[in-house]
Amino acid sequence: MAIEVKTQNLEMAKSLRQVSQEEHYVPGHRTCQGCGPALVYKLVSKATGGNAIFLGPTGCMYVANTSYLCAPFAYPWMHTQITNGGAVASGIEAAYQVLIRKGKYKGELPSIVVMAGDGGAIDIGLQAMSAMMYRGHDALFVMYDNESYANTGIQVSPATPYGANTTFTPPGKNVPEGRVLFPKDAPQLVIGGHPAVHFVATASVAYPVDLINKVRRGLNYKGPSFVHLHAPCPKGWLFPARKTIEVAKLAIQTGMWVNYTWENGEYTYDHTPKEYKPVKEYMKGQYRFNHLSDAHYAKMQAFIDARLKAPGKPVAIPVQGPREQA
Amino acid sequence: MAKEVFYSGCAAAAYGAKDARVEVISSYPIRPYTGIMMELSKLVANGELDAEFVLGEGEHAQVSIAYGASAAGARAYTGSSGVGVVYAMECYSPAAGGRLPCQMAIADRALDPPGDFGSEHTDVMSARDQGWIMGWAESPQEVYDNTIMYYRIGEDHRVQLPQFCCQDGYFVSHIPGKMQMEDQKAVDAFLPAYNPPHPLNPQKPINHGPQIFPDQGSAINVQRAVAFDDVEAVISEVVTDYNKAFGREYSPFVDEYMMDDADICFFLQGGHARTARYAVNHLRKQGVKVGVSRLRFMRPFPTAAVAASLSKVKAVGVIETNTSYGGVTRGGNIAPEARAACYPLDKRPVITSFMAGLGGEIVTLNEFYSMAKVLSDAVKSGKANASYWMNFEKEVLDTHK
Repeated sequence: MAIEVKTQNLEMAKSLRQVSQEEHYVPGHRTCQGCGPALVYKLVSKATGGNAIFLGPTGCMYVANTSYLCAPFAYPWMHTQITNGGAVASGIEAAYQVLIRKGKYKGELPSIVVMAGDGGAIDIGLQAMSAMMYRGHDALFVMYDNESYANTGIQVSPATPYGANTTFTPPGKNVPEGRVLFPKDAPQLVIGGHPAVHFVATASVAYPVDLINKVRRGLNYKGPSFVHLHAPCPKGWLFPARKTIEVAKLAIQTGMWVNYTWENGEYTYDHTPKEYKPVKEYMKGQYRFNHLSDAHYAKMQAFIDARLKAPGKPVAIPVQGPREQA
Repeated sequence: MAKEVFYSGCAAAAYGAKDARVEVISSYPIRPYTGIMMELSKLVANGELDAEFVLGEGEHAQVSIAYGASAAGARAYTGSSGVGVVYAMECYSPAAGGRLPCQMAIADRALDPPGDFGSEHTDVMSARDQGWIMGWAESPQEVYDNTIMYYRIGEDHRVQLPQFCCQDGYFVSHIPGKMQMEDQKAVDAFLPAYNPPHPLNPQKPINHGPQIFPDQGSAINVQRAVAFDDVEAVISEVVTDYNKAFGREYSPFVDEYMMDDADICFFLQGGHARTARYAVNHLRKQGVKVGVSRLRFMRPFPTAAVAASLSKVKAVGVIETNTSYGGVTRGGNIAPEARAACYPLDKRPVITSFMAGLGGEIVTLNEFYSMAKVLSDAVKSGKANASYWMNFEKEVLDTHK
């Protein structure tokens, strides 16, 4: 009964010049100046080459992008609840499998891409994302990570770094560092428990060719793949809008972000600096960390140092949780 | 060839879905609806039904998978019971607002606390304002028939709405009855393949569910409301066609029993109608002029048909089997709607709510006799309480003696 459903074989780009100039994410959006996630949308949609269906769980990229009768998506795009991006994608993929099998849809299986923010991926949307991965649907789950609920006014998410000032973790007399927890490790959540997944990668808007190729490699797999994209948010992190790429690069140079690929159990690393700069250099450029003391910076440095011993793998020495500190 | 079988409501729903040729099914276990998915999974495993069977990780995902599949252009089927139905609540409005005509089979179950497996309509009645077509079957035969009819109603381009295809947990879902299953070719002729006007297709991009500004909201919502205006006409067409094709005798909205000369009636939906008719047979022998008016659709609420039916009698007892705490009659949800439907009548019947069959309790013959007594008294006095909680109210208890 099962027939082969062809999936596209997208070619890797050697440079930006090899990427089509055709835009799929077109004017019509209302994102902020210097918006990292908007750049993610532009690059990911370029990577798909057009035969794609995009799903947008509620998040800043829903609210800032879609206005009725004026939206920037030159491909089929569907809003999902913030909770169920993975589930709606599963339904769409299952529908295409059966429609193609029955000959009701002529053509190759479209690339099905969920564009979830950190909340829609590893917080309220975690269950649906995990189930989509587990069941093995042929879809790509993108987590564009701007490290907060930016849509509702910069509230903390599980991707928010330690020490960040968000509107739900304001620093104060009793909680001087603001955000006390260290973030969830999104790629590890996927790698750790989903046998159907062959491809997980992290990428950054600072390295667009790498980003595009990772999206394409994910899409070339039959089955689910996960790409975690670092997308600085000038409004949420409070740095000048012209510095988005600079901030993204500095994250890699300080080890706050690591670009890597996990493919069938093997890790490979990209853009690794010869020597890491202190995390303070990255943090001091962002107002969200302005209230931190040297002790706080040291705590963050210790976390990053531990993580960099085996980047992309669980931290060997767990950081103290909030109950342990009490 | 049509064949006679002996099926429970769960099996009837599964075979109705199979004959409707559903293409994507999403499941998650919860009693009592689980039996539907157990049957369907066998049919898919055996190759008797060519469909994707997706194991949802919960009811919220079940409905999301179904409406995603529907958006992509497949006929989608799911279902649930009790707390599962309310867990998925967030997903009902997107399905209806997106005009995605998937179907959800409900075998009703009481909500928590305390944990109770019994039948009660409160679960899905909580979702009655989400824009889904909704109605109850009283027998496995009607479950099978409704499953097929609802798809044709919901997928009609004048309608484009999802459907709750409901049956009472256990009383219908688990009690087998003799029923007729139709020939696949005849069902295919009655129910054409799903033909969505705007499926998600890379060759023809659309934006589905963008944000709007507040002043654009009512312009969108009114279209859903207008669709509901059209549903009644479509239901009449579909039920008439179904009766003609398969020799059934459904009235589209209100199924009446001994109503023509009745003074009082029981007004209810679902499987308890069978007990009600049995009680009526007995009461008629005692000289009580009583009938049964059974509601086949809760959404759209068939206002005119209900008013026409209830105007025949002087007193109406609404058997609720659902709760609306602090509601207008301090009873359930059906009586207020029945009262509103009858409000424009020159001569309105007395309408009262009987809170019965909650938590899965059987509505016994004795209770029907008690209710008939309350209604007969109301005919004489011209009034009754707004609601009675069966077996707790003095008026009801007295008649048991």
